[in-house]
Amino acid sequence: MQYVKPNLNTWDEMFSNEDVRERYRNVFETLKQLSGEALEKKHLQASDFFMNQGITFTVYSDNQGIERIFPFDIIPRIITGKEWDQIETGIKQRLKALNLFLKDIYHEQQIIKDGIVPAALIASCPHFLQECVGIKVPHDIYVHISGIDLIRGADGVFYVLEDNLRTPSGVSYMLENREVTKRIFPDLLAANSVRMVNTYPMKLLNILTSLSPRAVDQPNVVILTPGVYNSAYYEHTFLARQMGIPLVEGRDLVVDNQKVFMKTTSGLQPVDVIYRRIDDEFIDPLVFRPDSLLGVPGIMSAYRKGTVALVNAVGNGVADDKAVYSYVPAMIKYYLNEEPVLSNVPTYRMENEDERKHVFENLGKMVVKQTNQSGGYGLVMGNRASELELKDLKEAILKNPRNFIAQPIIQLSTVPCLIDGKLEPRHIDLRPYALCGPNGVEIVPGGLTRVALRKGSLVVNSSQGGGSKDTWVVDIEE
Amino acid sequence: MMLSRIADSLFWLNRYMERTDGILRSLRYFYILGFDSYGGYSFNYKPLLQCYTGLSDTAIDEMSTDTSQVLRYMITDTSNINSMRVLLSKARENARGSQDKITKEVWEQVNAMFHYINKGGLDKKLDGDEALHVMDQLEKHCLMYNGIVDSTMPRGQGWEFMNVGKFIERCLQTVDLLDAYLQPIEYDLAKNDDLVYWRSLLFSLSGYELYLKSNRGSQHTRQVIYQVMFNADFPRSVIYSLSRMQRYLMELLEQNALASTVILEKKFGRMKSMVEFTDPASMDGQYLEHLLKEVRQQVWDFSSDFQKLFFSYT
Repeated sequence: MQYVKPNLNTWDEMFSNEDVRERYRNVFETLKQLSGEALEKKHLQASDFFMNQGITFTVYSDNQGIERIFPFDIIPRIITGKEWDQIETGIKQRLKALNLFLKDIYHEQQIIKDGIVPAALIASCPHFLQECVGIKVPHDIYVHISGIDLIRGADGVFYVLEDNLRTPSGVSYMLENREVTKRIFPDLLAANSVRMVNTYPMKLLNILTSLSPRAVDQPNVVILTPGVYNSAYYEHTFLARQMGIPLVEGRDLVVDNQKVFMKTTSGLQPVDVIYRRIDDEFIDPLVFRPDSLLGVPGIMSAYRKGTVALVNAVGNGVADDKAVYSYVPAMIKYYLNEEPVLSNVPTYRMENEDERKHVFENLGKMVVKQTNQSGGYGLVMGNRASELELKDLKEAILKNPRNFIAQPIIQLSTVPCLIDGKLEPRHIDLRPYALCGPNGVEIVPGGLTRVALRKGSLVVNSSQGGGSKDTWVVDIEE
Repeated sequence: MMLSRIADSLFWLNRYMERTDGILRSLRYFYILGFDSYGGYSFNYKPLLQCYTGLSDTAIDEMSTDTSQVLRYMITDTSNINSMRVLLSKARENARGSQDKITKEVWEQVNAMFHYINKGGLDKKLDGDEALHVMDQLEKHCLMYNGIVDSTMPRGQGWEFMNVGKFIERCLQTVDLLDAYLQPIEYDLAKNDDLVYWRSLLFSLSGYELYLKSNRGSQHTRQVIYQVMFNADFPRSVIYSLSRMQRYLMELLEQNALASTVILEKKFGRMKSMVEFTDPASMDGQYLEHLLKEVRQQVWDFSSDFQKLFFSYT
């Protein structure tokens, strides 16, 4: 097996400056014995697995639908138990603060009154929903399911890149990636005592069930999907199957007398808890977008009355807005009186004149993001943009500064990937999935490692040519 | 408890899969038998095209002796709404929409069939000496599907909706195929007692071996009609399909206390009695033609009423 050594200026997960890191020792020794052809064979085996499972998306060209799989790299990403403990503690702390923030912002707004978060920031946030003010949610939990994106900088430290508190996707890939690894590297997996991830659906179902407004033994819990054409549809079916609950579409539900029912072959049946994978703006055409065909007319009235629980809570977008993100460390101090365990990436808000000036002077070293975009859209890497693009960017920022933030370009850590039969370093991030219920926050040890498969690229989103890897948490001391 | 939309998808999943299976079964045997020259009898795909396509008589006449064209039209041509490629795409869409109610194994099999039929280069294979191999592979896939459904799907409403769909489709196929063989002999039951004529129908319904084991003598026309219409032990006969539909219908009606179930139950009972209490020995061609027409119409009506009762979710 041939491999390309990583850049010394970035943190590589497999290689330190001197040698192979201890966590990768077993894996590296095994890979060394395998030829490029043998690795390519494993890669094909993995691709076939995804294709046969229908873990695909459709690309349309010349009116022909072509089925493609989401790229998967067979070399695992390994995190030590010690590192994981720190990640887990940091995410738990962060979610505790974010839940308190959401409760506060939709009720007393004490954090604004105390001058920690500016009122204008919240008022100008498109995801702050007036319609949700005063709504009481079960157990005061707003963020039940989250995906907090972490990156590791050149210093080897994990930073929070962004919080995904609305409908984070990708958890099915975390679980399916492990299933593939069991087939292609069974011995390695066993030899490394990798911590288990497949308890996620059980934990999720327990939390969903605990939120039922009706005190019944077996509440009716459903997943609400936008339908088969949604890019995450596979994940919706996967979770429904793993939890044994119905997968419904908006047209399967109806609201009568402020209660939600599903249309079954034996008439209408009540629905207690909805894990909705539909964005806020589409969930109820009577309250939000009137042209939405995906949602359920009247569902917000049932939610407000408390006859149905919606997961995640409606209006969470205000807490994962890219501009609000920069205030999360302050929220942690304000609500918990603690220092953040996981740091933010330094973030400049373009509304602030001094920060804007600094960014404009150093635009070549910055990544500029639109606060209302996700999935890698609306992102400009200062070091890769042309003069004209930077000029247009500055004009756009000046026109609507609230819409932009900037962060210094951080060289994400790298990990070897199988590229054309040999191992080459590629940049990665990590999205652990946390579940928040009445008994606290639970995080399955692992997460989705997303990888920028294009050489030198720092954008890991699947919509921008990114792939994923299995993530192992191993109890190996370094 | 089952969502109406899911029940609808399961019903149609199995209808499309049964139609694919039926077409494939016929196509494969027509293809194989087409190589045998027999006493000036010119073999062609006319009954198959009449039964499974909406082509005009002229188009059928033009296509029926061109094996390559028939294979492409029936297997990969997406302009044909009953080509296997179209049917399997529709089946997969229904399976996708009901993935939480079918087993993982069923989904994977439907998915594998979809990928096989959409594989690049399949058209070319149908032109050459690999045509039979392609049909063999597809037949194996169909058998696998039926086996996987049978051995992994839990018995319950999902299973019952799937089976009602399957046997409606099977019943209609048998009626249509029999009709396609009786029309050329103008429903004259004494006209063609040549077993070679009926053999392709029996092969298409996987009933040739049973026929040979169960029948002696030379009255092949009446004997074949008896097996295909009235033999309750032949899994592709009309009466067998109706009996199975009744069984699953009754189970569904029991589990879903809906207002108009009695009407549907009685309607179905009348339809089944019409076949069950026909005396095959005294039946003439005219009555048989009327019977097939009535059965076809009433199965369509039943299918429509059944869907209105259980799937009217929009």
